[in-house]
Amino acid sequence: MAQISRKCVPFTPYERELSRATVALVTAAGVHRKDQPPFNIADELGDLTFRIIGGEDDTSDLMVTHHHYDHSEADRDINVVFPLVPLRELAREGFIGGVAREHIGYMGYTMQLKQMYEETAPQIAEEIDKKSRADIIVLTGG
Amino acid sequence: MCHRTVVAVQREIELRGLTTVLITVSPDASRQMRPPRALYPAGFKIGNSLGRPGMRELQTRVLRDALQLIKEPPRPGEIVEREYPEYGAGEQ
Repeated sequence: MAQISRKCVPFTPYERELSRATVALVTAAGVHRKDQPPFNIADELGDLTFRIIGGEDDTSDLMVTHHHYDHSEADRDINVVFPLVPLRELAREGFIGGVAREHIGYMGYTMQLKQMYEETAPQIAEEIDKKSRADIIVLTGG
Repeated sequence: MCHRTVVAVQREIELRGLTTVLITVSPDASRQMRPPRALYPAGFKIGNSLGRPGMRELQTRVLRDALQLIKEPPRPGEIVEREYPEYGAGEQ
């Protein structure tokens, strides 16, 4: 279980081999499926919701809605912020055990930091803990 | 901003007993929030967490290195910086 280090950073060691680990991705880069509602970039306060992306989803079905970084390169290749294809490659070569069935995209920009920290962050953690069946989570900022 | 809030999410996940690693391209912002584990691919710009479009080998190497941090001695709150010269070589 999680341990609190002397520096008060939550820390969970992973005792097994990486080659047995199921890995999920969580990104703040505003990634979602094209058939899901885009993040609300009209609201200057930000959007506190998140989207679930399937492990089998085709990366050509994914897109970015985010107005606080230049995502033109992610529009050409989503893997620059959401590395689902590299993750599949690492599973294929046996470096990891497998790709989780569920991953998460959200828009990390918000003025509503209290809600982000007290509501959205725990909700994302709950979702990934209960549904993804992942042992390890890789996060990207954008 | 995104590189701060993502650490809040990372810490929540880690508190639940799952192991996490962050790939950050804004290390100063992420460091303020003390990530359990983090990799900074040196010089990568925002929007290029894993490298540039189509650079699949580089993207895979960055992801592999981030995962490998899980098996290295713990440095909670710190950000490990790695050089990837091919990133600069891919500049257009």
